Amino acid sequence: MISDFLEADLVDLSWLISTRELSSADVVTAALERLRSLEPKLNAFITVLDEPALAAAKAADDEIAHGQRRGPLHGVPITIKDMFATSGVRTTGASKILLDWVPNFDAHIVERLHAAGAIIVGKTNLDEFGHGGTSTLSHFGPVHNPWNTERIAGGSSGGSAAAVAARICPVSYGTETGSSVRRPASYCGIVGFKPTFGIISRYGSFRGAWSQDHVGIFARSVKDIALGLEATAGYDSRDPSSVRQDTPTYASHLDGNIKSLRVAILPRFLEGVDSAVKEAFEIAVKALADAGCVIEDLDIPELRYAAMTSMMTSAAESAGINRGWFRERHQDFVPHVARGLAVGMTITASEYLTVQRARHRIRQALHEAYENIHLIVTPTTARVAPPIAEGVKGNGDDTRHASYNHSNLLRFPSMLGLPGCSVPCGISPDGMPIGMQIIGAWFADQTVLNAAWAYQSLTDWHRQKPAVCQ
Amino acid sequence: MSENDRFAHRLALLGGVEFSPTDLETITSEIVDMDRILTELEQFAHDTPWVSLQAQPNEKKPHHD
Repeated sequence: MISDFLEADLVDLSWLISTRELSSADVVTAALERLRSLEPKLNAFITVLDEPALAAAKAADDEIAHGQRRGPLHGVPITIKDMFATSGVRTTGASKILLDWVPNFDAHIVERLHAAGAIIVGKTNLDEFGHGGTSTLSHFGPVHNPWNTERIAGGSSGGSAAAVAARICPVSYGTETGSSVRRPASYCGIVGFKPTFGIISRYGSFRGAWSQDHVGIFARSVKDIALGLEATAGYDSRDPSSVRQDTPTYASHLDGNIKSLRVAILPRFLEGVDSAVKEAFEIAVKALADAGCVIEDLDIPELRYAAMTSMMTSAAESAGINRGWFRERHQDFVPHVARGLAVGMTITASEYLTVQRARHRIRQALHEAYENIHLIVTPTTARVAPPIAEGVKGNGDDTRHASYNHSNLLRFPSMLGLPGCSVPCGISPDGMPIGMQIIGAWFADQTVLNAAWAYQSLTDWHRQKPAVCQ
Repeated sequence: MSENDRFAHRLALLGGVEFSPTDLETITSEIVDMDRILTELEQFAHDTPWVSLQAQPNEKKPHHD
């Protein structure tokens, strides 16, 4: 039985806490109870912060009672991927290598979330150091999908997606190098947003591949995503890729009027997409057209090379990052991750530079495309979440599958640093959620959020509940 | 360079880290695939400019309003 208020979005929950109809302590207690009751089914968490969370919730209640409310996240339970350093709390990256590592500093987003008064109730499970797309490559075992616990949650931020889908918390923070926010969001039937590269500082999070790593956000509504983005976006000199930007105000600028937005679809890359996914996507595109978007077919042939370019970049950079541990402790990595690092170790400098030339050519092609369109929309994934029994190959994520047609659509936004949002757009005949991703030009984050918000206002797919909530 | 030499050259980059025969078979098949991909990417990118990856301090960049 779920406490009704755990069904609430961040916006509603925040209002209830701010008006003191609910106390943060009660909400956090309920979130922790729900987490504990579902954890045997989901395995979504690595570390649970019962006592610190309850102490922070009581402090939040005191501040709010004294008129010192800090903002929409104050007193609200949230979760973060165990990729982010937390001072005094172990931070593992889902790896045996850091099983007992307790940092003495906070990651940027943790600092910002503490400042906003958010209550971190747990650190979520993932593929080891973000190297995977299934959340089965964890030292702590696989994450299970709340819609069907025999299926994967997607990765690498699978624990975060599962926690939000299962109504443990309204918002969670993850990271994305290839598709690690949008894919699990799609598989778990929630919203997942990855901003433009540099909008949220990555200081204090483990690197997957430095030129592709992003911090991303999970929620059940786009407005909650916007609020979660506002709390964490902003310049940070500790991340060399951080972008100078105005004080972020995404939520107050949400605009559901999407008339005349030019929205492109890429038919060339839809071949091979599962029929149920394709059908749901076509209905979603029609909804955008009915809302006034101008839909057009577009061909960007260079995207055929996107998945292989992204995967080669990831392989080389992750091998560089993990070089020391690979040589000294390779047996402590999850075996599949160790093999992937080995392949990356064999890439030479000149080959890496060749890959970056290819990446530049694809970037130029997208730059030209966005001169004439506002958004690209595609199915987020080619099929719904596969069974856990299919293992890591269930996602077509091995290098040998790099030329798999739809993977190009999933991988190009992170490789190029474009803002992207996956929104639920259907349910398959076997009861699994389907997602549509909306991709904007560089720094068109607000346009992406507006389109996602407008789409959500026309549909109720984001209100469907997974099996564990029935 | 023969295929065997090419594999030997690549595996030498592992820096002495040893894998089981089964793991090595997987790694080798991935390397075969990677070689194919690199050939494709080289052809695709051959007339593309080399990319500068230099980062400049933000505070030194001119402002464009």
